[in-house]
Amino acid sequence: MESDSGLVSPAGNNMKAVLCQRCASKVLLPGSARYCRRELFLPSMKKKNALVADGSPDGDMLTDHWLVDDMYTFENVGFTKDIGNIKYLVCADCEIGPIGWHCLEDKKSFYVALERVKHE
Amino acid sequence: MNPPGRVAGPQRRGPGGGNGAGGGSPAPLGAQSRRRKQPPRPADFKLQVIIIGSRGVGKTSLMERFTDDTFSEACKSTVGVDFKIKTVELRGKKIRLQIWDTAGQERFNSITSAYYRSAKGIILVYDITKKETFEDLPKWMKMIDKYASEEAELLLVGNKLDCEVDREITRQQGEKFAQQITGMRFCESSAKDNFNVDEIFLKLVDDILKKMPLDLMRNELSNSILSLQPEPEIPPELPPPRPSVRCC
Repeated sequence: MESDSGLVSPAGNNMKAVLCQRCASKVLLPGSARYCRRELFLPSMKKKNALVADGSPDGDMLTDHWLVDDMYTFENVGFTKDIGNIKYLVCADCEIGPIGWHCLEDKKSFYVALERVKHE
Repeated sequence: MNPPGRVAGPQRRGPGGGNGAGGGSPAPLGAQSRRRKQPPRPADFKLQVIIIGSRGVGKTSLMERFTDDTFSEACKSTVGVDFKIKTVELRGKKIRLQIWDTAGQERFNSITSAYYRSAKGIILVYDITKKETFEDLPKWMKMIDKYASEEAELLLVGNKLDCEVDREITRQQGEKFAQQITGMRFCESSAKDNFNVDEIFLKLVDDILKKMPLDLMRNELSNSILSLQPEPEIPPELPPPRPSVRCC
């Protein structure tokens, strides 16, 4: 997922709407998030128990994210209960996820992984 | 069985407290502006809604669009969703709802008062096929009376309309309960068939909007009331109910 694939505007914002891969629920409107590179581990979307707090879950280290600084920027999104100091983001409608990451210690950063959503 | 009486009256408690002013921005853009480089239209305002009710009445289902069991079992996170941000548009306003599902905290005193305090809308759910969930309603009303803002809109929902054959509580019983509480609305729904589910939220938001003067709406915009970590306080034992006065 390169930044020049038509997803990121010259100003660094998302050119397309960010949608749930499964149910197309609208997560972010075009232009509402900033592209950001950061290595974040997201548990697998496919495994049923990927999010279980204990043990080491399956998942991916992802680096390409949309970043917003206010949770009310989202059109629709769900937040999981706390796992340590992390809340994962899921689709608000079908609850597939995690699609993103939020650390409770940084109240102004909400990440959505480009690989875990579709763009339209 | 009688809910605590709520009498329309002039008294009003102050707002639920904890509203720190933040740096919200007004929403002056014209509707549906799609010009390039223009930032997306921010929400006109934000509302907290909580869904309460006894275990198994379908609170969580009311927050979901899909109730496809195979999917939800297979793919949903097992830790559970804490809350959701959902956007609705009504009467030209774009409203962000922060919806708190209290599933898993059904013991009457285990839901933190912070949830109630900041809620502008409270959806109280029972299961029309389970009498005991209807009989629990007065206990939930006690919690609402104790903790919720006077201004909170109340909506009583009889869920599981898809199980009509097993119905134990008539529609009239639900209506009657709601009528005894000032300002409480009533409807029946089926989360399984998605019947009336969107309407529940729209109805609630509509009621909240109607009561909200324009300047207050601006304020709402800049108040992010509940932080991500509601205070973990456990409400103490129920005190004697406060004088049940509620304004419509």
